[in-house]
Amino acid sequence: MLVISNPRDNLLPERKTCTYSLTNMDIKAYLPEAIKKIPTHMDFVGQKKAEKMFQMIIISFAVVGFIWGYICQQFSQTMYILITGFVISCLLTLPPWSMFRKNPLSWQKARPEAEEIGSTTTSASAQKSKKKK
Amino acid sequence: MNTALSRLNTIFAFTLSVMAGLTFLCFLSTFFNEHKADVAINTGKVIVKNVPDYSAGREKNDLGFVVFDLQTDILFLDCPWLLTTFLPQGIFNWNVKQLFLYLFAEYETEDHKLNQVVIWDKIIKRGENSVLDYKKANTKYYFWDFGNGLRSNKNVTLSLSWNVIPNAGTLPKIQGVGQHKIEFPSEYSPNRFQ
Repeated sequence: MLVISNPRDNLLPERKTCTYSLTNMDIKAYLPEAIKKIPTHMDFVGQKKAEKMFQMIIISFAVVGFIWGYICQQFSQTMYILITGFVISCLLTLPPWSMFRKNPLSWQKARPEAEEIGSTTTSASAQKSKKKK
Repeated sequence: MNTALSRLNTIFAFTLSVMAGLTFLCFLSTFFNEHKADVAINTGKVIVKNVPDYSAGREKNDLGFVVFDLQTDILFLDCPWLLTTFLPQGIFNWNVKQLFLYLFAEYETEDHKLNQVVIWDKIIKRGENSVLDYKKANTKYYFWDFGNGLRSNKNVTLSLSWNVIPNAGTLPKIQGVGQHKIEFPSEYSPNRFQ
């Protein structure tokens, strides 16, 4: 799922509210403020790396678990090894480690207040961006 | 994938799909197994009575009494399809949860062509002792007949079958190799069965 944050927010991509994902909005309403403030974003190259990483980890644990389960003839062992792989891949990819943030997006510099004809801001949002500055 | 929650969702769904694939592979790995084993059945005293079956009406039906011996060792067997692997696969492989064994009598009467009556059963879970050695065991269930077809019936066959209950896959019913024929006497016994 590609998410493009609003480039008019000329801040770092740490967002206080998620406006594009319904699930996040439902759950995050109940979380305490301290947890909401923890940043969880990764940049796109990092997301791709994370996806490849957890797929490889889970598949390799599944193969090892299948072989070990066949050797000792217990299917429960296969399941336990697979769940271990799930936990390891969660630990490696859920928190946003710095290796997933190596390619940050280079945002353009913030534009000054819109005075050109091509701008589409209304006077209200122009005043808002004035206030933010 | 930009929030931790969506990453968790993706990882969890991927793990569940992989789990389903592994279960299917487990089913495939034991699909061609034969679950046959040898069984030795013998019987002792055999009598038949003619009494009303109160759970099924007032008329008198035949009730057989059998005392049986049963020896079998179901654990290991030769599986010719898997001679290439280094492990002989017994009946209790990693895809078997338990076996449901049942001893049944099969015979033909004038009224009905095929009759099968289950007179004893047992559940053997994986890991339990699967060597059976019963001597002069009583049946668990009544050997009722619909009608009077047991008296002087000379061709009643006792056989042991088992239903393999797997972790993943089909539930085949396999008949053991080894049956025993019993003959019922031609007169009803008025005595108590001792």
